[in-house]
Amino acid sequence: MAESRTPLLDELEKGPWPSFITDMKKLAQRKPAVQDALGQLEMSYRDKKGHWKHGGIVGVRGYGGGVIGRYSDVGNVFPNVAEFHTMRVNQPSGWFYTTEKLRQLCDIWEAYGSGLTNFHGSTGDIILLGTVTQNLQPAFDALSEAGFDLGGSGSDLRTPSACVGPARCEWACIDTLELCHDVTNTFQDELHRPMWPYKFKIKVAGCPNDCAAAVARADLSVIGTWRDSIRIDQEAVREYADGGLDVGRAVVHKCPTGALSWDAEKKELGLKAEECNRCMHCINMMPRALRPGVERGATILIGGKATILQTAFLSWVIVPFMKLEPPYEEFKDLLRRIWEWWDENAKTRERVGELIYRKGMREFLKAVGLPPAPQMVFRPRANPYYFWWSEELEGNGHKEQG
Amino acid sequence: MADAAGEELKARVLEYLAKVDKAKSHDIAQVLKEKKPLVDAAVRELAREDKVEFLYIGTSYVKLKGK
Repeated sequence: MAESRTPLLDELEKGPWPSFITDMKKLAQRKPAVQDALGQLEMSYRDKKGHWKHGGIVGVRGYGGGVIGRYSDVGNVFPNVAEFHTMRVNQPSGWFYTTEKLRQLCDIWEAYGSGLTNFHGSTGDIILLGTVTQNLQPAFDALSEAGFDLGGSGSDLRTPSACVGPARCEWACIDTLELCHDVTNTFQDELHRPMWPYKFKIKVAGCPNDCAAAVARADLSVIGTWRDSIRIDQEAVREYADGGLDVGRAVVHKCPTGALSWDAEKKELGLKAEECNRCMHCINMMPRALRPGVERGATILIGGKATILQTAFLSWVIVPFMKLEPPYEEFKDLLRRIWEWWDENAKTRERVGELIYRKGMREFLKAVGLPPAPQMVFRPRANPYYFWWSEELEGNGHKEQG
Repeated sequence: MADAAGEELKARVLEYLAKVDKAKSHDIAQVLKEKKPLVDAAVRELAREDKVEFLYIGTSYVKLKGK
């Protein structure tokens, strides 16, 4: 038996899980670039370092975003991956495809690329892995013909993304898919021509469960919410209690703001709507009994993402409630004001959250014309608007106040 | 369709890019003493005309095509 040329990668095929190595080996039989990609990856495992260089000039006519240059630093050993560029294709909202469209995409990438795909990248784009510079324009032309456009890369608006929202989820408080689609189409220039200090990401979640992980991953997060009160079906609550759910311990005692109360005798759930901070715990625990309110919109937050110049940030609330209905002009105007201030004031590679951290939320709010609100809290459970007097603190020899 | 002022600005952008290896749009605007949105529009148009391209080295720059 011939000795394997990829002994380290072979280890990845031995577990019970599907292996990308197995798939690549199959593809390598007819794609020399994939054969060399495997060889280079084996070398990277052996050397304990990557062999891809990053950046450079690759693009298609009129675009600056959507293509990521990948060049091998061992191209002399693996000539078929000396150039191995990635194309980012803007995903449809909700990631819904017909089989016909998927076949079209795959045929295009068979013709112009390595055949390797990644559905989907962390921003949601369709990722087409591995092609040479001369194939970029024809691949782009074929993608355009099939109705696809490139997504963002570089210092531009990255491809906006959203959770599946009302398409598949009963908790969606806004039409995430429509908003994402509208914003993507409105800001084509910002998406395709990188002219900003650095990248800017918009993610839309339909409810505070935030399945898009927008608060952690987006510079501008949109989180669907409601302004009125959670709706309670007391009969359904009783059914949960009769079915064995310890409503007091599992739901009410875990309400972070103490907005809920439980009358165990009457088996009745109480709610102080003004105390609710929309954490979704009670709704997730008793989905047949509790529902979001009827007056729906979104909370807008800013500044999330692990950054380069500062540290990792979660987003901060800047608009506690926005109605968010088509054509979304209030939202788009806010975006334009934010971008103008950031573009004017940021250092190179400074994300908007870092700029706010450096210059202060007060300056940001003034520049974009937003009023301060109590919901603007820097960190969860750290309230910058109230500071305890030292005599009120436990352990200072004073009686705790009620 | 760019107006005459746009054409003039595009020419100045090209002239500046001919002198440097690469530049951010923000820097071009400062050097030319123009508003950033106007420079963005000029660069956008020049990219469509295939006269400039975008370079990514940690962040994105503009440079003359093929320079």
